Amino acid sequence: MSGASAAPRLELVQVSKTFAGTRALDTVSFDVLPGEVHVVAGENGAGKSTLIRVIAGAVTDYAGELRLDGRRVRFASPADASAHGVATIHQELSLVPSLSIADNFELRRAAPAFERRVRGAARERAARALERLELRFDPATPVEALSVAERQSVEIARALAGDVRVLVMDEPTSALFEPDVERLLSLVERLKQRGIGIVYISHRLDEIFRIADRISVLRDGRRVFTRPAREVTRDELVDAMVGGRAPTAKSERERVFPGLRLGVRGLASEPSVPAPFHALDFELGAGERVGVAGVEGSGASTLLRALFGDVPWASGAVTLEGTPYAPKSPRAAFERGVALLASDRRASVFAELSVLANATLSSLGSLSRAGVVNRRAERAAVARETSRVRLKAPSLDADAGALSGGNQQKVALLRCLLCGPRLLLLDDPTRGIDVGARADVHELLRELAATGTSILFRSTDLAELFALADRVLVLARGRHVATLARAELDEARLLAAMMGGAA
Amino acid sequence: MKLAFITSPKVRPFVPLLAVLLFGCVLNAHGAFFEWQTHRAVLREIAVGGILACGMTVVIVSGGIDLAVGSVLALSAVSFAWLTLLHGWAGFFALPVVLLVGAGAGALSGALVAWPRMQPFIVTLAMMVFARGLAKELSGGQKISTYVQEPDGTFRTVPLPAVFEALDGRVLGGNVSVVTLVFLASALVTWVILERLRVGRYLFAVGGNFEAARLSGVPVRLTLVFAYVLSGIFAALAGVCQAAQETHGDPETGMGYELDAIAMVVLGGTSLMGGRGGVALTVIGALTLGYLEKVLSLNAYSTELRLMLTGVILVLAVLFQRRFGRETA
Repeated sequence: MSGASAAPRLELVQVSKTFAGTRALDTVSFDVLPGEVHVVAGENGAGKSTLIRVIAGAVTDYAGELRLDGRRVRFASPADASAHGVATIHQELSLVPSLSIADNFELRRAAPAFERRVRGAARERAARALERLELRFDPATPVEALSVAERQSVEIARALAGDVRVLVMDEPTSALFEPDVERLLSLVERLKQRGIGIVYISHRLDEIFRIADRISVLRDGRRVFTRPAREVTRDELVDAMVGGRAPTAKSERERVFPGLRLGVRGLASEPSVPAPFHALDFELGAGERVGVAGVEGSGASTLLRALFGDVPWASGAVTLEGTPYAPKSPRAAFERGVALLASDRRASVFAELSVLANATLSSLGSLSRAGVVNRRAERAAVARETSRVRLKAPSLDADAGALSGGNQQKVALLRCLLCGPRLLLLDDPTRGIDVGARADVHELLRELAATGTSILFRSTDLAELFALADRVLVLARGRHVATLARAELDEARLLAAMMGGAA
Repeated sequence: MKLAFITSPKVRPFVPLLAVLLFGCVLNAHGAFFEWQTHRAVLREIAVGGILACGMTVVIVSGGIDLAVGSVLALSAVSFAWLTLLHGWAGFFALPVVLLVGAGAGALSGALVAWPRMQPFIVTLAMMVFARGLAKELSGGQKISTYVQEPDGTFRTVPLPAVFEALDGRVLGGNVSVVTLVFLASALVTWVILERLRVGRYLFAVGGNFEAARLSGVPVRLTLVFAYVLSGIFAALAGVCQAAQETHGDPETGMGYELDAIAMVVLGGTSLMGGRGGVALTVIGALTLGYLEKVLSLNAYSTELRLMLTGVILVLAVLFQRRFGRETA
């Protein structure tokens, strides 16, 4: 696509946006042409989502200018943006599962509030919109009967039901698997032919090069470059995202791990679970800290849950301290000294319970006699550990829900610690918590490992992998694609392995 | 705000009760409100509902609801009368059997909530209907009283067993009803379970965040079963008290008691969302409802008006709890 021939559909001129002192976008200019796929790439926190939110009308107080087909516009809300023909497909789908496809289409249609509802007409409209994308669904089908990939297609069809000039797609393939990705990409091809300008965000390198006409890279809120896709190599792209930074793994002494804690042979999850993984082999030494890296849907999170007895295994043999280990439930995992810190604080913190009750919930067995909780021993045990995690709470009797995110996470971690785990599984342990709390958590994990606890953790933050891991296992689409020792860790290699599926 | 102390978490649950008591002191029905027998009557009248409310508290803390308690009460009252009056069992043997019946009903509800993860509302609604039917089946649709029909069609009167009189009596110089003591003992047992036992912690955890409890190694399903079993046992105990007070086993008794029990729990400030609350609050809630009823009846308000006022006051009290509960939580 030659940029000179057509006027841009959408243009951002010198757009800046500051959130609480940090520049999320710094004088970024960006445009998308009719019939073009313009990919925006960058690490987490590079400013991609802010850019999308500006385009979609979700951020309204930015500096700079937005032009749609040459006319200056400023969207008041997402609804305003879509009325102007700018449609956005978000990562989380926004269909109502219990309603039919047609009814979901009706929800988005600009219509008078008390219009008489004509079911036939609604189905007709939905059928036409589906047809335009060559999707063969009956509009009367309830959305919950569709697969994730099918829902995505329906969502796109709905977004395109009106008169759409610009379509923003935010990681549309993150929840999809191979054949469905292919189908989605060919759908995008068809949209291009209709002259729609497409802004496409993705983490997957293969996909980016398959679909992009132009690529823009954002880093720390600034645009690094915008170039035609065929003039960019993979290495250049990764370099631009990372910023040519030197490997950030601290030169810690190579550590040795005498005892084998966990041995995993041919472990595979049931293929029917979301984000399954296949035939993994690895070992974990006593006191070793191993990171699992992988994009959303790679199976890294599923692996942790499978080792915790929360996801069924299809095959494989695991030994824990030399004896076979095949937990059927989280409770069984706890009995073998395996604890898990869930990625979502909603699944790890009891907001209504006190800090004390939160902390000791998993270790009440040893803190009670004949079913009666020994409250003195309980308080003493928690008090001993709170200083270790540097917990800041008004008192042990305060509601955990009243604490900051970082302190809530420390409370959840405290619960894992109090059962004295042999193996600690952490799923993105510092997601969304502040820098100070994060440093505390890292420090604590290092200490734990030094005293012999083995740690297997997943992180969406590469810096965390560098800070903590003795070794990183890289998963892509459920397969173990690379193992990087501490000495070989560098961001470009890791990213390439995570996204491309080969180291 | 000058009245800030009213909204502090420690004082808050007492406010509706104090308001009702104040109301009683003003409208004292020519001093009747200041006589001990009035208070003794309130404490007796709330006992059966209060015993149900103890079990209900445990179930609600676990994040559920038990609509079956009124029917299980009736089933237990009938069973107790059937064993003691018709079959001449001693109360000493009949009581554990009846408690077992209640526990069985609770275990069935609890199992359906725990394993297929059915909605507690649906499960206990079904148990409510089923237990009522079973009570009618067992009694042949009739009250089981001391006036017993023999197989040959003749009637005879059996003496009222001692256990009936004991439960319906008073102690401490006639100043306190026995059922009041049974209620207080139930509340104490519930308090120990919720505040001192490991299973109490599990109940709060399961009600507060089921998924997190599961991932913390809490035996979530057994905990749920425990809650409903306990509620069933308390319902059976309430049924025995009811039978003793009525001197017969009536399959129609206890209709709508589940709603009174829920009202007592909620009025105390225990959250229907689960995970927050306690039985001390329920005792306060029971007293509030009991006194409200008594003050209104002392002043000869009609039943119709009493029901309407009770509804209004229930809503106001809960609004008050919520309005100020959020800020201090």
